[in-house]
Amino acid sequence: MDALGIDLPRLLTFLVGFTVIAVFLRMFLYGPIIRMLDQRADRIRDSLEAAENARAEAASSAERVEQELANARREGQELIAEARDAAGRLREQEAERTRAQVEEMLDRAREEIRRERSAAVEEVRSEFAGIAILAAERIVEQSLDESAHRELIDRVLEEGLDARNN
Amino acid sequence: MLSSPKGIAIAVFLLAVALISVAGGALGAAFGGGFIGGAVPLILIPAELVTYIGDYQLTNTAVMFFAALLVLVVLTWLATRKLSEVPGRWQSLMEVMYEFFIGLAESTSGKAGRIFLPVATAIFLVVLFSNWLGVVPVVGTIGRVETTQEFFFHKFEKKLEENHAEALLDGLHHDVGKNGEGLGHFIESHADDKDLQKYLGKTMETYGEERFVVFDGGGVRILPLGRGEDYKLSLIDIVAYDVEDPVHPTAADVVKIAQRVDGSVAPGVTPSTEFYSANPGEYAGMEGKRVGLLVPYLRGSSTDLNMTLAIAIFAMVSVQFWGIKTLGVWGYWDKFVGNPFKRNPIDLFVGILELVGEFIKVISFTFRLFGNMFAGEILLIAMGFLFPLIGMIPFIGLELFVGFIQAIIFSVLTLMFGAFAIMPHHHPEGDHHEGEGH
Repeated sequence: MDALGIDLPRLLTFLVGFTVIAVFLRMFLYGPIIRMLDQRADRIRDSLEAAENARAEAASSAERVEQELANARREGQELIAEARDAAGRLREQEAERTRAQVEEMLDRAREEIRRERSAAVEEVRSEFAGIAILAAERIVEQSLDESAHRELIDRVLEEGLDARNN
Repeated sequence: MLSSPKGIAIAVFLLAVALISVAGGALGAAFGGGFIGGAVPLILIPAELVTYIGDYQLTNTAVMFFAALLVLVVLTWLATRKLSEVPGRWQSLMEVMYEFFIGLAESTSGKAGRIFLPVATAIFLVVLFSNWLGVVPVVGTIGRVETTQEFFFHKFEKKLEENHAEALLDGLHHDVGKNGEGLGHFIESHADDKDLQKYLGKTMETYGEERFVVFDGGGVRILPLGRGEDYKLSLIDIVAYDVEDPVHPTAADVVKIAQRVDGSVAPGVTPSTEFYSANPGEYAGMEGKRVGLLVPYLRGSSTDLNMTLAIAIFAMVSVQFWGIKTLGVWGYWDKFVGNPFKRNPIDLFVGILELVGEFIKVISFTFRLFGNMFAGEILLIAMGFLFPLIGMIPFIGLELFVGFIQAIIFSVLTLMFGAFAIMPHHHPEGDHHEGEGH
């Protein structure tokens, strides 16, 4: 021990010195720096999490937008289709109505025509009667053969109506 | 580089320095050169005494140890004065260091490994700065001349202590000052004491060949330039040149020795020419010079076994503490011996070996660091002796590296031993049933 220079007071000097500095470093260097390291690790972890959240949020919102766009597109499509349908229906209706009106007008026109024709026939008939009577009068003036006359009158009437009808 | 005049000038200068170094050093001394060869300082394993503080002996290694602690305090201040999440330079440096150890501790022991950190990192920092401060150039070259009186007094005192010569020791402490003042007078007045003659002889026998360097004067010295070896004298030459048998001195011899001790070393006293008359040719021209040892004021603290032992003890005590704290007293004991009657003999033997190993680790810690750093110091001294001016330069770099590696080894080993200590004992297969009883 003597040759190696080991003795108790000197050993204690270093032991005490080391203990003091170890405690000092634990309190003033290790403590604060470890605290700082942990704090920074926490901060980084938080930031990463926040970034992850933000990213997820962005992704989900993008998806939502996408979906909304698709919805809108579909709705638009539907609207257009609907509108086209409606337009088609409307047009058909309109065409129907027009056709009906035309029909109605035609009917009315036909009715009118029929009425006018009957009126005309009536008129012609009455006119023919007059003519016939006139003719009869004339004939009578010439000869009073009753049966011949009647036959004549009917024939005239017949002819006259046929002519009218054709 | 050699194309410009400046380059040539630098090359010539370097070549000249190299030549001066080789020719002026110890190598050149063999061929009549050696004009700047330093004296080889006495290389002692024990740390040298710088001064007394009361009864406490302040050694040069303790001075450097406190310097290292001071550096650490400054470092702490630098690293933590502006502590922030965005670290400054010093803070980053410390963080890198701590993160290295955190990584190591957590990879071996997980979260539990954090208990090792304060001690392991303190060991790293203290050992690192102790090692590095020892390499700083001025350290080891500035010192005080220890007189032969002082040297002789300490050796004599130790001899008396070893042999439990209480009466003589008391007288020595009563009559002689701490630095050996009045030692000659004390020896002379006890010349007839057989014990004194015996221990004096033993001292001469043990330390007689110790070499002393001759200096021009006292006070603070820088390691002298000069012809080292030629200027060295052995203790026998200085103190007892005309004593027939220094190992068994007679009363008359003791008086002669006492005269030499006082005459050669008392401060301000010029040794007589007669003092060298035993070898007048060899010691010609040395009259009036002081003879002694150069004691450096500063010496790297890790070259002192007390320092390495202190840290080794602290480390291994910490390891035991961690083991007991984690496993409990019985759990930790169970790692080694457990219940000796329930354990199979081979395991018991291995366990006892491991227990002894815990003490061996203190010794291996102590001598690994001491050996490396002491060898480094001697290497630097030797290179300074062989090739003054430039010889040390590459080796200073090497020593800085070795110092760093040793600091890493010491602290990482502490951490590893801690990791082993907190691992619970696993009973081998065959022992399992018996182990259940615990």
